[in-house]
Amino acid sequence: MSPVRREGLVYGVGALHAAARGDRMMWALHRAALSNGIVPVIPAVAVAEGYRTEARGDRIAELLDGTEVEPFSSEAARRSGELAARCDTTELAVIAVIELADRRNCAVVAQRQAVLRNAAALLGHELVLYAV
Amino acid sequence: MVTKRSVSLVDEVATAVEEAAKQDGVSFSAWLSSAAEKQLRVRQGLRGVAAWEGETGSLSAEEVAAGEALLARLRSGVSGVASRVRRR
Repeated sequence: MSPVRREGLVYGVGALHAAARGDRMMWALHRAALSNGIVPVIPAVAVAEGYRTEARGDRIAELLDGTEVEPFSSEAARRSGELAARCDTTELAVIAVIELADRRNCAVVAQRQAVLRNAAALLGHELVLYAV
Repeated sequence: MVTKRSVSLVDEVATAVEEAAKQDGVSFSAWLSSAAEKQLRVRQGLRGVAAWEGETGSLSAEEVAAGEALLARLRSGVSGVASRVRRR
């Protein structure tokens, strides 16, 4: 089966941490996306987790300037909650990322986490990941 | 709140927007508004990148090219984990 071309990028909490610590590859990727007319998407719950766990909120804000923060709708919350239960995890910020990537056919920029792979497998989603 | 503006579009663009709006199931105005919103977000985002570069140093041509290559790799849809191309 040939690979499915992705419409865009979904950022996870790891992308926010990478931007905050000044990971130049992260910023180069972000610049490339915007220069190609792609606005990366991030679930609101991942933004909340990013601000909870990262001291450099100013850097997060600079990255979010060029990002669509998707509100946690009731439908997305239901799907994420059910998927988290199936994965036996409380990592809702991670689950919301894979739920969004599946729904909007996007590649993922996040930390390498087993839960990401497990959730993708349960959804039957072919995960395309840049591990930051 | 909505502001009404009279805008002029090249015929071909107007036709293409009309078709796209129909396909997306939204009005002509809503489609145009969404496109403008996206363009503004891109503009704002590139300003954010420039602000970061102002603090830490501009991305080199090599780094920009590496970012473009990584984006192309991710968009191609080849499943798996991409490794870092270059970090400084």
